[in-house]
Amino acid sequence: MSDAVEKNSESLQPISLRPAETGDAPNAAGAISVREKIGAMPAAPGATRKALVVGLGWGLAFSIVTLLLAPVLREWAFAIVPESKFAMQLRTSDLKKLQREAQRLEKRVAGLRRRFELLAPRVPYLVVNTSENRIRVISGAKIIHEGVCSTGSYVLLKAADARQWVFVTPRGMFSILGKRVNPVWTKPDWAFIEEGLPVPPPGSPERFEAGVLGEYALELGDGYLIHGTLYKRMLGMPVTHGCVRLGDDDLRLVYRNLQIGSKIFIY
Amino acid sequence: MMICASFIEIYKSAQKFLSIEMAQTLWLAVLNYLKSWGEAAANSLAKNLLFLRQSRRVQAVFFVSLFVPLLLVFVLTVLLPVVANPFEEAIAEAPKESAESWADSALAEISTARRELAGKMATLEIDQAFWQARLQLAKGDSISLSVDLVDSVTSLEVKGVPMRQCKILRYRGSGLVKRLQAQGRLQPWLSTPFVLQKELATLPKAPIRIKEAPKDTIEASESKGQDLPIEHRDAEFTLHFDRSLTLVVEQAQAPSFKGRLRKIWYDWRRIFGDAGGALVALLHLQLPQHRIWIEIELSREDAKAIYRALPSRAGLALRL
Repeated sequence: MSDAVEKNSESLQPISLRPAETGDAPNAAGAISVREKIGAMPAAPGATRKALVVGLGWGLAFSIVTLLLAPVLREWAFAIVPESKFAMQLRTSDLKKLQREAQRLEKRVAGLRRRFELLAPRVPYLVVNTSENRIRVISGAKIIHEGVCSTGSYVLLKAADARQWVFVTPRGMFSILGKRVNPVWTKPDWAFIEEGLPVPPPGSPERFEAGVLGEYALELGDGYLIHGTLYKRMLGMPVTHGCVRLGDDDLRLVYRNLQIGSKIFIY
Repeated sequence: MMICASFIEIYKSAQKFLSIEMAQTLWLAVLNYLKSWGEAAANSLAKNLLFLRQSRRVQAVFFVSLFVPLLLVFVLTVLLPVVANPFEEAIAEAPKESAESWADSALAEISTARRELAGKMATLEIDQAFWQARLQLAKGDSISLSVDLVDSVTSLEVKGVPMRQCKILRYRGSGLVKRLQAQGRLQPWLSTPFVLQKELATLPKAPIRIKEAPKDTIEASESKGQDLPIEHRDAEFTLHFDRSLTLVVEQAQAPSFKGRLRKIWYDWRRIFGDAGGALVALLHLQLPQHRIWIEIELSREDAKAIYRALPSRAGLALRL
């Protein structure tokens, strides 16, 4: 940097201006300051263009920073800008009328609240938490049972013939469409592909397997079931093909408390 | 500021793995490097700006070209969106009669009873809007979210049935919310459910794992034991709703080392996303709108469950 300053001061030396030419008064020593010399210096060719380019470059850089900080700057601005002068507007200046309006509003809010609370099912329902693999059986506002389950594994299975399946438990509200005792599993194609076995034709006896779904199964539609499992150590983990697996005791309780038409909420 | 925050995050994470002395030595080395780099940059900057000493015209050109884009961006992205913000415009459009009656009475002394009543009515109007929005959401089939900052509860619901209720451990809000609240004019903004437009998170929406089908039973039995998935992802996310509402959800637990790195990346994406949005608005000759943000803190499990459960166009009912 010091080299550059020296070079610059050297380049200024040949120029000498007298006070009469500039109209400026000389300083105490009778010499003109470097700053005054610079002010009167003619610009080198291309200097203006360089100033424009460098200035625009810096301007754009600072503009990008401003753009990035804009939300924060706006927040600060909202804190500084004074609020609207008619804060807390009231529709009328009549106090009694206002009180009546407030009472009416209070009743309306209570009514809306009641209407919302009535939306909950009157009969017991099941809530399945797929992110933690837990279940709750709820009746009214009371939790009557909590337990573990297994839900969809989020595995995307790719078969050699380009077919693929995603093993996800669907979310939302479902109803129990049917209840089965000692269910028999009708194995779909993916069950064979996953095991590295050849896929048998539809209706083949190989497709039917008893005892793997536990004592009971509750149908949710689209082939999804709530059923038991042989792999009890896997309960609490996302390992299923989309069904909800329960332990024997939990399954028994769910089967007894939930009827056809009862709601299942899965999230 | 963000770079500093990122360095501090890395420093905090490094502390977990290294001894404090080692982390401090590492930190000092980084600081020394930054210092020497800063000095070199300052010197080079001074050299590059020496041409400014040539004439006043050069100086004028430089400063004009520096400040014009800066001022333009400042006016278009900060000043005008604040001055012409649609929420306050709605207040200004309030019936003239009431404004005048208020102005008159404001000049006179306002009785405490009236002031209290005004506050109570504003609260009741917000409550009414909240329950109306929840009932409206209950008409649909999809999972929705209700955030009640008054009772510090957020709830995941479908058909009006709360499936999961989570305690809000801490919350902060945009200054504009407080302003609108103070003006008692939040009700029109809250009366219908907000609809999710865009989301950004530190965790994937669905943790899909791809598995190629085994060729035979031997390969199938070999791959059987590898399937046990253990997911310890940190959950922080931002939900951009319509009507300029942004809900930021943070987890209460300190994130893991990987989680911290993901958080840095998520923060940068969020900041650049906002800037990008502002830029797009300017290119469409519109003023970028200030987003009203609300930040809530939940437990990691709650945050994860909520994020994973919300569908792409989820609705939100809000009570402030």
